[in-house]
Amino acid sequence: MSDSQRSAPLLEVRGLKKHFPVRKGLLSRVVGQVKAVDGLDFTLERGQTLSLVGESGCGKTTAGRTMLRLLEPTAGQVLYRADPTSEAVDLFNLPKKEMRALRPDLQIIFQDPYASLNPRITVGNAIAEPLLVHKIATGSEVEDRVAALLKRVGLRPDVANRFPHEFSGGQRQRVGIARALALSPKLIVCDEAVSALDVSIQAQVINLLKDLQDELGISYLFIAHDLSVVKYISDALAVMYLGRIVESGSADQIFNDPQHPYTRALLSAIPHADPKKRKKRIPLTGEIPSPIHPPSGCHFHTRCSLAEDRCRRDWPENVALGDGHQAACHLVQGASVTGA
Amino acid sequence: MSDSQSPEGAAKPLLELRDLATWFHTDEGTAKAVDGVSYKIYPGETLGLVGESGSGKSVSALSVMRLVPSPPGFVERGDILFRGESLLPIADEDFRRIRGNEVAMIFQEPMTALNPVYTVGNQISEAVMLHRGLSKKAAREHAIEMLRRVGIPSPETRVDTYPHEMSGGMRQRVMIAIAMSCDPALLIADEPTTALDVTIQAQILDLIRELQEEAGMSVLLITHDLAVVAEAAHHVAVMYAGKVVEYASVEELFEKPRHPYTIGLFQSLPDLAKQGERLTAIPGMVPSATNFPSGCRFRTRCSIASDLCAGTEPPLVSLEPGGAHTVACHHLEEASKL
Repeated sequence: MSDSQRSAPLLEVRGLKKHFPVRKGLLSRVVGQVKAVDGLDFTLERGQTLSLVGESGCGKTTAGRTMLRLLEPTAGQVLYRADPTSEAVDLFNLPKKEMRALRPDLQIIFQDPYASLNPRITVGNAIAEPLLVHKIATGSEVEDRVAALLKRVGLRPDVANRFPHEFSGGQRQRVGIARALALSPKLIVCDEAVSALDVSIQAQVINLLKDLQDELGISYLFIAHDLSVVKYISDALAVMYLGRIVESGSADQIFNDPQHPYTRALLSAIPHADPKKRKKRIPLTGEIPSPIHPPSGCHFHTRCSLAEDRCRRDWPENVALGDGHQAACHLVQGASVTGA
Repeated sequence: MSDSQSPEGAAKPLLELRDLATWFHTDEGTAKAVDGVSYKIYPGETLGLVGESGSGKSVSALSVMRLVPSPPGFVERGDILFRGESLLPIADEDFRRIRGNEVAMIFQEPMTALNPVYTVGNQISEAVMLHRGLSKKAAREHAIEMLRRVGIPSPETRVDTYPHEMSGGMRQRVMIAIAMSCDPALLIADEPTTALDVTIQAQILDLIRELQEEAGMSVLLITHDLAVVAEAAHHVAVMYAGKVVEYASVEELFEKPRHPYTIGLFQSLPDLAKQGERLTAIPGMVPSATNFPSGCRFRTRCSIASDLCAGTEPPLVSLEPGGAHTVACHHLEEASKL
């Protein structure tokens, strides 16, 4: 990838927030806010894969959906450039009609393709639907496009007449990918797209996603909790905790030189497929606190073995660690965590 | 856990499956979910049972617990021996002495395994009142003690809460508390951490290991995740399409996998591959249990399959005397080059 392309990223997310009101009582009065996503900044480069990782409830799925305006954002900007040379548009400021015109560029695939495919519509029609809605193909052209897409994702074109229940989990995920590909997207949000698959099938689907990226230059926002898959597939990573990004950087920086105590604990919890590497874990006691009443100061202080008074009081600012590596921790100073 | 028991040691197996076949008779035909499976678990050891969905690993465990829905499921042949005695002839009423008492089981999704209308204290008490004849008051005390043992904070108040008031990790701890309440000799853990976050998974695996060391119990750990097996098991049995295709100590299996399927599983793992390198996926998918291929069941996905594989089912044979490492493959020579 050349430097000129790098300078104009596909997508820049600034201050993304999504709060859900908590209603209670007879009049359904708003008594609080679930700050599911509370101020995210990240950049997605062209043809690259950025992964959002974190435990369940950290807001990674909400972030992906809000970014695509599948949920109405509370605040923030998503600056999108269809081409490196084109003007950036803020997706959150676009009128509905213009947003709709951009939708083909921005696709999503889900964890459970069975739940996202209509059981009464053949997979051929499911893949044809976006082509017809966006008037990309008509008549016999549609059939040809569907056949080509099925072939591209490794399915036989004659399965177009079958229904979703006739497919295995891996095949259904291929149908989901074919459907997302139908509109020649620039970005696909992969929300736990391989989490439900068996390991041998998962490898097939990961290879397919990689091939498509190499061929078509698609960018992925990969939302996942399985860090071994993430390590393999990502160029860049953002680690989320309770609605905020606590550390971000290249895959190499995060996996080989993690700085935030949460990232370190999370990485040490991954089991390794090597019995000789049973290593000492950094114990992460307790569970992720409720996002309705997040802890004061640094949200992670209730589970952090290094927490000090200021961690309980003030939210830590991002500390730049060089080469785009950032961590939000009071104890991070330039290169390493003091006292760790 | 370096002190892994050797199968050829003096100890007798606590549980032994001998050529067990559990079939389901359905409208679409007979699903041979488990079809001639043998494995042994020794006292104090953890056996990891690995395989993809549909390999029969859970059905083999449910057969031990006599929890296979019947009809349509029946044990067609083979034997299940517990402490050297066959479990199959035992009458259903008498089987309750064993199930939940000597052999306990935990499941993947604790929310569906726990009863939503009873407090967790009630559900732990139930087991000890039934099996140990404790009074209601003593059972409650025992329940609090068990909650403390599985690391639930303020067990005195938690004992009166309902499952929906707890997180997934907490619920799995409650399941373990119920399973452990009668000090079982064998704990069957069916994908106990699959639904949990990696941080909570680490906590639960550590907890199972601590309780195992305390109580000296055996664990049958069923999982699709090779990394979990590497962390927690002493021995591993790899299942494919209703059969055990390879068995070895965890160190041996991870260092020298011999069966083409086991080798393929390892090559599919993203954490062993270098970034950017293509994963070597196993082509195709697990065949349907109503229609397994003839001969070796893996042959339809195997790159070194021959006519021999289609015609004759490979027996599970020992690589060296003692049965420490057994493999069912006709082409071990070629497989070593994969």
